[in-house]
Amino acid sequence: MSLREVVLSVRGLKKVFEGSPSVVAIESLNMDVYDGEFLCIVGPSGCGKTTLLRILAGLEKPTSGEVLLKGKPIKGPGPDRVMVFQEYSLFPWRTVLGNVMFGLELKGLSRQEAIREAMKYIMLVGLEGFENMYPHELSGGMKQRVALARALACNPDVLLMDEPLSALDAQTRNYMQEELIKIWDRTRKTIIFVTHNVEEAVYLGDRVMVLTARPAKIKSTIEVNIERPRNRFASEFLKLRMKILDMLREEIEKVMIRSNHSLRP
Amino acid sequence: MKFKNLLLYLTSLIAFLLVWELYCQLIVRNPMFLPPSSRVFATFIELMIFGRPPSFFLPYDMLYSLFHYSIGFSLALIVGFSMGLITGWIKLANELSYPIIELIRPIPPIAWIPITILMLKLTDAAAGFIIFIGAVFPMLLNTRHGVASVEVRYLEAAMTLGATSSLTLIRKIVIPAALPSIMTGIRVSSGVAWMCVVAAELFGVAPYGLGYKIDLARFYLATDIIIAYMIAIGILGLMLDRVYRAIEEKALAWRVGLVIA
Ligand SMILES: Nc1ncnc2c1ncn2[C@@H]1O[C@H](COP(=O)(O)OP(=O)(O)OP(=O)(O)O)[C@@H](O)[C@H]1O
Ligand SMILES: [Mg+2]
Repeated sequence: MSLREVVLSVRGLKKVFEGSPSVVAIESLNMDVYDGEFLCIVGPSGCGKTTLLRILAGLEKPTSGEVLLKGKPIKGPGPDRVMVFQEYSLFPWRTVLGNVMFGLELKGLSRQEAIREAMKYIMLVGLEGFENMYPHELSGGMKQRVALARALACNPDVLLMDEPLSALDAQTRNYMQEELIKIWDRTRKTIIFVTHNVEEAVYLGDRVMVLTARPAKIKSTIEVNIERPRNRFASEFLKLRMKILDMLREEIEKVMIRSNHSLRP
Repeated sequence: MKFKNLLLYLTSLIAFLLVWELYCQLIVRNPMFLPPSSRVFATFIELMIFGRPPSFFLPYDMLYSLFHYSIGFSLALIVGFSMGLITGWIKLANELSYPIIELIRPIPPIAWIPITILMLKLTDAAAGFIIFIGAVFPMLLNTRHGVASVEVRYLEAAMTLGATSSLTLIRKIVIPAALPSIMTGIRVSSGVAWMCVVAAELFGVAPYGLGYKIDLARFYLATDIIIAYMIAIGILGLMLDRVYRAIEEKALAWRVGLVIA
């Protein structure tokens, strides 16, 4: 483990949303993300997963603590840490090709080069033939493929994904998980993947990071040493799943007890 | 489908002309009061091809009115778009301009005519200004609304993909995302501009133009000319609207459900 290079590290991160009442979303969180790994993050609903990703993306400023990318503190959003959002954030006025070209245009590539490069990624996510369609003509799964291609085309150091598959039906979702692993295998991008779904986390991740109830801290980080492609019904898979589910249940119970207390007259 | 529509349009148009014709021939029976449709039609053709002394010649007046329209409308587009963009994007600019805009907006363009004529005299510029006053607000308001309601997720997505400067965000996200509203602004603004053309010309800013001639015809008690000019105003207004509609449809092909049969 120590041989692997750390690409992203978070030190003493704290995030408070000021207001009445103020919400402490993240509290003294430390983490290291290794180059080329697939890191999954699970945690109880509302614990601060999205907030964490948004801070890593630079869309939100931490209250204290720092985020280092390859040793340098991040300054705002940038194409070295592209985010794929839960809701579809494709630009509806651009075609599939136009969406994937977006980041390439900003990098100053000529139109020809941008098209050639974008087509590579459209092919990678299996959407050749659909490049001239508009987002509203695509299914949910196809939209997220486009979002993935658009993000990969920027060639980011880290890919941030916030529940990108949660709007899909179960079959499409399983299929997309398999596709995502294939694409990751080919590109070897560092991926930080937030999900509600423990099975998804165990299927995808090299490691699964379990967060506590709000304020989010790291409860535990679990190595998933299962050969890919993983069998969702193998006993080691199921055992790991149960273990993580138990951890989550503990956290959710904490929230319940807390709110029961506050309900007491 | 298309053919059936055309048939319906023609039927309703012919029915209207027929009722008009019969009403005049059988009940009014005074062409100076209200000429029948056949008479107006003949006059329209005559005015389109030969004109009638002293100065009634439709093609020339149409062009002249379009000239007034172009001055006022293009100015309204430029000012309305820029101000809409600035006030929609920068909150402070919106708050500062809001009371001024809201105070000036309810003043009808016609109320601006006296002061405009005093300041700019009876010139084409005066007509342009009155048209501008009428047309600038729909453009400004629609653009501002479109820009202010650009969804944050598009902006954030663009930012993580490398769009860091405001200028890039405006060019690549804000304007395309606001385009539906901007297009509506253009269309509404054009319609108001065309109405203001007639109002401005009525006051004699120039010795030509549809608005001026329609009033001149009154002095000659030439009701058929008045109505022929009214029809010309209607037809040109309709054509302008169709042009912007066509542009809108082309520019917004990406929108869901815009394809209306
Ligand atoms: N902009 C904001 N202003 C105030 N509070 C916020 C803001 N964004 C998030 N929060 C609060 O911070 C906490 C964490 O929110 P966050 O969206 O990060 O949770 P999450 O783990 O992603 O939840 P979910 O599982 O539902 O996606 C929540 O209590 C939320 O109400
Ligand atoms: Mg979330």
